[in-house]
Amino acid sequence: MGWGLMSPAMILLLLMTVVPTLYLFYYAFRHEDLLGPNSYWVGFGNFTRVLSDPNIWSDSLSTLQFVVLAVAVELLLGLLLALMLSRKIAETNLLTALFILPLGVAPVVSALVFRVLLDPAYGWVDYYLQTWGLIDQPIDWFGQPVFAWIAVIALDVWQWTPFVALILLAGLQGMPGEPKEAALLDGANSLQMFWHIILPFLKPFIAIALVFRIIEAFKTFGSVFVLTGGGPGTSTSLINLDLYRIALQNFDVGAAAALGICFLIVLSVIMSRLLSILGRNTDILED
Amino acid sequence: MTFKSTSISRRALLQAGTAFAGGATLGLNLRAAFAADAPKPEKLTMLYATSEADSDAIKAALPEFKKATGIDIALDTMPYNALQQKAFAELASESSYYDIMIVDTPWMPALTNKIAPITEMILDPQNSEGLDIKDFIPKVFFDTAVYKRDNSALHFDKTDTIDPAAIKAGGFDVYGLPMQANALTLAYRKDLFDDPANQKAYKDKTGKDLAPPATWDDFAAIASFFTNPAKRMWGTTLMAGSGDWATDDFKTLLAGFGGDGHLVNDKFEPVFASPEGVKALTFYADLINGKKVTPPGTTSASWDEVATSFSNGLAAMTMNYHDLALSPNVKGQVAYAVVPMGAGIGPHFGTWMLSVNSFSKNKQWAFNAIKWFTSSATQTSALAQQLHPTRASVYAAAINDPAISQKFGNFYETLGKSLAVGVGRPRLTNYSDVDRAIWVAVNNAARGAATPEAALKGAADEVNKALANAGYK
Repeated sequence: MGWGLMSPAMILLLLMTVVPTLYLFYYAFRHEDLLGPNSYWVGFGNFTRVLSDPNIWSDSLSTLQFVVLAVAVELLLGLLLALMLSRKIAETNLLTALFILPLGVAPVVSALVFRVLLDPAYGWVDYYLQTWGLIDQPIDWFGQPVFAWIAVIALDVWQWTPFVALILLAGLQGMPGEPKEAALLDGANSLQMFWHIILPFLKPFIAIALVFRIIEAFKTFGSVFVLTGGGPGTSTSLINLDLYRIALQNFDVGAAAALGICFLIVLSVIMSRLLSILGRNTDILED
Repeated sequence: MTFKSTSISRRALLQAGTAFAGGATLGLNLRAAFAADAPKPEKLTMLYATSEADSDAIKAALPEFKKATGIDIALDTMPYNALQQKAFAELASESSYYDIMIVDTPWMPALTNKIAPITEMILDPQNSEGLDIKDFIPKVFFDTAVYKRDNSALHFDKTDTIDPAAIKAGGFDVYGLPMQANALTLAYRKDLFDDPANQKAYKDKTGKDLAPPATWDDFAAIASFFTNPAKRMWGTTLMAGSGDWATDDFKTLLAGFGGDGHLVNDKFEPVFASPEGVKALTFYADLINGKKVTPPGTTSASWDEVATSFSNGLAAMTMNYHDLALSPNVKGQVAYAVVPMGAGIGPHFGTWMLSVNSFSKNKQWAFNAIKWFTSSATQTSALAQQLHPTRASVYAAAINDPAISQKFGNFYETLGKSLAVGVGRPRLTNYSDVDRAIWVAVNNAARGAATPEAALKGAADEVNKALANAGYK
């Protein structure tokens, strides 16, 4: 009876996740010529190829760097934003609505807007930085790796900080008043209040935001593809740009599947660690 | 042009039989063959590029096509990346949805098993009536449409005139009809070049007349002359950003410095890391970092950004794939010239062609349609929509048409000349890997992140690996 009731959901899950994954494994061990007659088994050939490519390793490190930097800044700014918005003043609702706006913009569109804003010849950013005397010469944002990284991280932070802030704001708004009142009576200052009362309470919400953002940051493609195209050189090239190039420009499905599986394994390890952190931190919500 | 409905002929039967047998031998799905008596469909479906192949020109021609044939065209247009994925996915799944597909030259080496060869149709006098195949610019025709099915990397060697019988005898086939020919042309600010004060100053400075640069040395001298950052004016733009455009800039210079602009030869050897290549890239990087004659942002500029910079009056010269207009607030005129030469010449060019999907159920009418859309009359009508023609007669018509000259200046004359000396891409199924290795090298050298020698050597190593991975070595 129990299996019968579960079977529709299990079949759906099987069709949506297990079958495509099995298909991915099938292709990973083949040279698949989608447009010609030359398809054959290659054993671990595709894995050897992608794992012996120094560009793939370098782009994997870039991806990791992107995830760590972007998510760290988003958590920090998201927390500050949530603390500001949690104050019960009249303007809070309007400000919250405004801060949510970036979430509604498609990443590709935001990247296009950033590209225009940061253009060194006619973009607003360089124009105002020069007008205010902060720089002498325009910055070629996408011509130097450091500035390109700043632009890529800034775009992600602009887009996703409101998401983090919303999760943390929900946590702050659900926080009971008694512990804060007790701390005030005991003479705690603002910093002590934040460190000993608010932050511990927010830990499960921070963990949730962290897990969601890390998963999403690993999946970043469109914004970086449009903003820098992986350049200058290959300095902002992420692993998803490689996957796109191999799968959808070269149509080398076997190599793309092998790379996808390697990426999946690495992500699974990272995710299992993150989920255990999440499990530990959300225990207090159940208490 | 009109189409006649005829009774079934022995030739058509033979063609159908040959196509069927060929398809079965090659393990392809059973497909409808070309047949002169094929029933006329109410509608044909066409997959086309948005801006890269000027979809406005096709859209404007659709009512005339309907009037001439009674057939509607269901047109789907897409930007480049989406278009390639769509075209490849349709062909890989052997879908018959699109009867006509636009194909870019870098794609074709992978598609010779999926795009229908039309050589037999061209050789058939009845089917090729009104085609006037010799009117296509030979260089464009051979680079774009002539491939060997089982070895798509090869180039047909007799390219002076278009002779379909010789193509067939050589084991090659025609895979479509060229529609939109893009070549790198030099655009310059005619008002600045014609200014007597500039002419005198340039003469005083260099001893030469100020004219569109004939050599790359002249190009550098003129670019330096016009560069004045304090007045937000630079000599030229360059497309040194991360992307295909940087490869196109480089291969144009490579050919100009006497190297092989194809980048990889027919023996699958990278030929761009040659002494000529190093000279070309050194010259290119020096324009950006040494002479500083390019606007800020050059090392991240694509063809789109350089067009914007030039249109907004930031540069006296530029190289791009299309004609350019100045913004209304920039008072001036634009004229065009073939890119300069050095030890050689070879502006990058690449042409789109209209092809028949092998899996189409309306191949005969799809062929009739591509014949109509690429005809001299249709291309001439499409000039006003900025179509880049592929036929010599259309260039002659453009040059002699005052309205076109008024609107586009000497653009078409220059484009025609550029195509005649242009150099295409290597024919590789994994050209995007080769392309990427080269644009990364160009970008690194242009930023000063690597010396031109080291950048090109690294790219050559990567290209060798990519060619080996693709089974070429």
